[in-house]
Order: sequence, then structure tokens, then C-alpha cells
Amino acid sequence: MALPLSRQKALREWKLYFFILPSLLFVAVFSYFPAGSAIYHSFFDWQGGDNKELIGFANFKRILGDPVLWSAFGTVSVLIVFNLFKMIPSIMLAVLIHRLKSDRAQYGYRTLLVVPMIVPGLVTLFIWKFFFDPNLGILNNLFDVTGLKTLLVHLDQFFGWNVFFASAPIGWLSQPDLILPALFLWGFPWIGAVGVLIYLAGLQSIGQEVYEAADLDGVGPFQKFIYIELPLILTQVRLTLVLLIIGTLKDYGLQLLLLGEAGGPGGRGMVPGLWMYNRAFIAGEFGYACAVGMVLFVFILSLTYVNNKYVRVEK
Amino acid sequence: MSTSPKDAVGSRKRSDWLKHVFILGIILIELFPLYMMLQISLKDNASFIQNPWLPQPPYAVTEHFRDPAVGTDSQLLTRLRTATWTEVFGGVTAPRDDPDFVSATTHFTLSVYRVENWRVGFKTILPAIANTIFIAATGTAVSMALAILGAYFFARYRMPFSGVLWAAFMLLMLMPGVANIVPLFTLLKDMNLLNTLAAIILVGIAGGQVFNIFVLRNFIEDLPKDLFEAAEMDGASHLQQIWTVVIPLSMPIIGTLSILAFLGKWNEFLLPLIVLRDQELFPLGVKLIYLDGEYVKQWGPIMAAYFIASMPLIVIFLFCMRLFVRGLSAGAVKG
Repeated sequence: MALPLSRQKALREWKLYFFILPSLLFVAVFSYFPAGSAIYHSFFDWQGGDNKELIGFANFKRILGDPVLWSAFGTVSVLIVFNLFKMIPSIMLAVLIHRLKSDRAQYGYRTLLVVPMIVPGLVTLFIWKFFFDPNLGILNNLFDVTGLKTLLVHLDQFFGWNVFFASAPIGWLSQPDLILPALFLWGFPWIGAVGVLIYLAGLQSIGQEVYEAADLDGVGPFQKFIYIELPLILTQVRLTLVLLIIGTLKDYGLQLLLLGEAGGPGGRGMVPGLWMYNRAFIAGEFGYACAVGMVLFVFILSLTYVNNKYVRVEK
Repeated sequence: MSTSPKDAVGSRKRSDWLKHVFILGIILIELFPLYMMLQISLKDNASFIQNPWLPQPPYAVTEHFRDPAVGTDSQLLTRLRTATWTEVFGGVTAPRDDPDFVSATTHFTLSVYRVENWRVGFKTILPAIANTIFIAATGTAVSMALAILGAYFFARYRMPFSGVLWAAFMLLMLMPGVANIVPLFTLLKDMNLLNTLAAIILVGIAGGQVFNIFVLRNFIEDLPKDLFEAAEMDGASHLQQIWTVVIPLSMPIIGTLSILAFLGKWNEFLLPLIVLRDQELFPLGVKLIYLDGEYVKQWGPIMAAYFIASMPLIVIFLFCMRLFVRGLSAGAVKG
């Protein structure tokens, strides 16, 4: 802990305040002021210019009846479910690597895992977008070669989806009904190197005697996972889970770059953050965008609260 | 080996080859985008469509056609194109629907590799990389310097009001930045900072403060107090104490935080996209977005540009592997 100071000594050390001043200034101007301004302007009809009109809670009333925003919240809930599912491969991979006998192999795989991380996020995003390209894309090519497409077309005829056609390439990002499936496929095989490293760190704390005892009791590999490994990485799983939910709720860069400002055909990829962006920078309704931001903020803040209250991280 | 305790982790009797196959399979899929990036970067669109999966074989095909206008074999038109793998091993077959086809030969050549893709990629992306390095380096350096000063303030003594200030900082950690972007834009407009790199740098500096101060404060508080006292005895000012005690001792954590900050700025695109208008100011992110927005795409140069965009990170990765891995885990705990 920092040393307590007597009042006189503190007075003598007044110069220390200059140490915190620059950080404080930056944070006040570029973080606190915009945040306050967002709250303030959410009560205004404001086009971003000098003219603004106080309209009270009208923006929030409009939010309550805004079908796009609420369907965007629906979409983002689906995305959250997808992302929760996408945690599974990382956990499985971490357990697999952890169970390897050779330490050298474990280290090697850890290093190999980090390699794809050096590709900037945007580049990964655009490469995946390229994979989804209907004519040149790798994904359609793969579906053609493996016969998966024929299967999908048959299923389509059977169920009457009207999405897959034998005569046309699959329009992953242009068919409204395919946007959510495309976002699900996105990033296959869904390994997050960061996640795997965190889980591995958690698994490392499992003592050998636990495994020995399990072996003596004749516990199978799957039961070992359920009874030994999963409980011990539960802290990490919970942590990533909450961070993942908050992250998914907050992010809209992927949707913006992949599907455009309107959330793609039929607006099926619209998420709340993107709607805020759209209202502000496309429609010029800055006041309303601030209000949307506030609603989103309340959602995230309550999740953060839950996170801090119920998920304890021992460092 | 069966007596070593390590064996108890997995199943004792079976060997690990199945696990290895599985893990390697997953990692190969993970590396697949990198592979595609590299192999497409050496092709032009035609040879990519002809052969999307495998790298270009180092062979070209010379095809001879009858000139339809002349109609005899005396004057042949020749066409040079890249060969596919089946043509390399199985020989060239006549195009099914072309009666004018006469003959074709494959021959070994390295000229099928489109090195000029890389030249074009370099030319497109280099200014953006320069901008990004400038933004990220300045931003990271200033941000770290300020954060060290701030953390020292919190860690050294419990000054009057430091509790209040600390709470003010920590509140920001809870606050998601999502609602900020709209007022931030108008703030930058009022400050006449739109369309300047300064805007990106300044906002970046502010954004990193809270987390860096949080981590650094904990670290500095754990440093032995005697060192500070000894330095003070020798008449060192606070700045000198930071320079001689804090910075040398907290180098690993400063390195980790710097790498995290640098990575974050390298990947940033939303604010520059909103703030910047001039092409020559674009950092990497916005430049990549514009490349993607082109109507007719030459995938070769684009992939080369993607790869070049990753290269500085590869260099950093090679030199600071350990900091990198630790930084990634620390970043995940951040929240």
C-alpha cells in the first residue's frame, strides 16, 4: 500500500499532484466529457451542429417503440448464444493440450496457437469476408467440392427454406436468411488463442494427485473433464463468459465492415451499437444516437456490475 | 516414463497420437487463412480462379492456336498462361470446345509467380503502415510515460484526495466506451481536430490511461520501499526516483503493457474511419477498409498487402514472444 502521509509532509510534496495532472486532464477531456455530453444530449433533438432543442424524454420514448433497435437486441442475443457455443472448442483444445504427456509438445502447441494472433484483426476479418465471397470464395468452393451444397439444396427443397439453389452460388452475405448462419460459421474452428492460454493457466493448477486418485478410481477421460478439469477452470470460464457477453453487446465493427451501415440485406445483421452508429453518422440524428448509446450503456453497466459482484478473479 | 508423475495427467496406458492428430488438425485450420494469404499473393486473378487451393506450380503453358482469320497451320497464335497441377503431371489436354487448338507445351519457369503483386501491395500499404507506426508509437510512448507518472502518484504516498481521484479513474474502467463515440466526434470537431492524426493519438492516449495506471500502481506498490527511501536519502527528486527505481524495476510490466497498447492501436479502425478524410492520413485499418471497398478486386496485390500489414507484428512477435504471450493473458483479464 501507499504510505500514509502527515498533512505537513503532504503539503511539502504538493508537486506530486503534477504527476497525476496530465493523465487526469486527458481522461477528463476525452473520456469524461464525452460521456457526460452523451447523457446530456440524449435529452435533445440534435443534428450535431449548434442548434439543439430540449425534448425531454422524447428520444427514450422513441426508443421504446423503435422496432429496429429491439430486433437488433434480438440479433445480438442470438450472437451471444453463438459466441457462448464458440467457447467450447477453446476449452476442449486447452484440455487436450493439457493432457499431453510431453511438456515440449505442450509448449510447442502453445506457441503455434499464438501465431495466427499476429495477423491483425482487420486482416482476419477481410480474409473471412473473402472466404464468404459467393463466386470466388473458398467456402462455396469447399461446399461444392465436398457435396455439402447438394445436400443443402436437397434439404432446402425438403423444408422449403428458399435459401439454397442448385443453380446459383450460395450468397452468404447477400441472402437475408443466411446472414446469421454466416455469422455463426464465422471464425471456424472458433479457437481463441487468448482463451486457450487462460484455460491452460487454470488447468496448470490441478495437482497430479487428483489425476492419480481419479485413475485409481477408474474414472474415464470424459468424467475426468466433468469432475476434475471443468470445476477447476470454472473461474476462467465464468470470466471469459462475462467478458464475451459484454464484448458482443458492445462491438459493432464486424457488422459494420462485413455488412455495411444498414446491417446487410434486410438489416438482419443490425446490432444495437451499429444502430447507434447508423443514426448518428448516416441519419445525422445525434441526439437520438446518444439516447441509444445510453440504453446500451445501461445494459452493459448492469452486466459489468454482475461481473464484479459475482465473478471474483484471484490474481 | 510410466513412473513419472506426468503420466497421471492423461490416460496412463494409451499413447497420445490421437490427441496430437486432433490438436494439429485444429491448428492447421487456424493457420489456413495465413496459408491462403501467402499463396494467393503470388497469383493473378486468372490463375487463382483456375487453381484456388494449391500454390501455383512453377510451370507455364504455351498454347498454340490456329488463327481463325487465316485458317491454316502455317501461322499460329500463341498464348502463355499458368499451368495447373494436373497439367504439370498429366500433360495438357485440348480445351474441349476450341476447334482451333493445335498443341500446347508446359515448361518450367519462375515467372508465373507474380512478384509485382508484392510491389503493388507495398506501394499501397506502406504509407498506411508509416501512419500507423507513427500513431501507435507516439501514442504508446506518451501514454506509458503519463501512466507511470500517474501510477507513481497513487503508489508512493497516500496524498490528500488521492482516494477520490482513484475512484474517479476506476469509475471509467466500468464505463463502456460505446456511448462515447458520438460526442467524441463533435468534441474533436469543436477542437478543430477532425482529419488530423493528432485526434487519433490524443484519444488513444486517454483511452489507455486507466488500465495502465491500474496495473502499474499495483506493481509499483509491491516494489521494496527501502529503495525509494535510499534514493530519497541521496537527495533524488521524485522524477529521479521514477527514472532510477521505478522504470528499471518495472520494465517487464511496462513492456507487456506497451505491447498491449501497441497492438490495440494497430487494430483500431473505428475512430480513424469517422475522423479522417484524407487518403494520405489513413492508418492501416482504414486503408484496408478502402482496399476492400474497391469494385474490381485484384486479389493478389490485396493479399500481399494483407500480409505486409501483418509483418511488423510478426517482427515484434519474434522479438518479444514471452512478453507477447503474457500480455495476451493480461489483456484477457482486463475486462
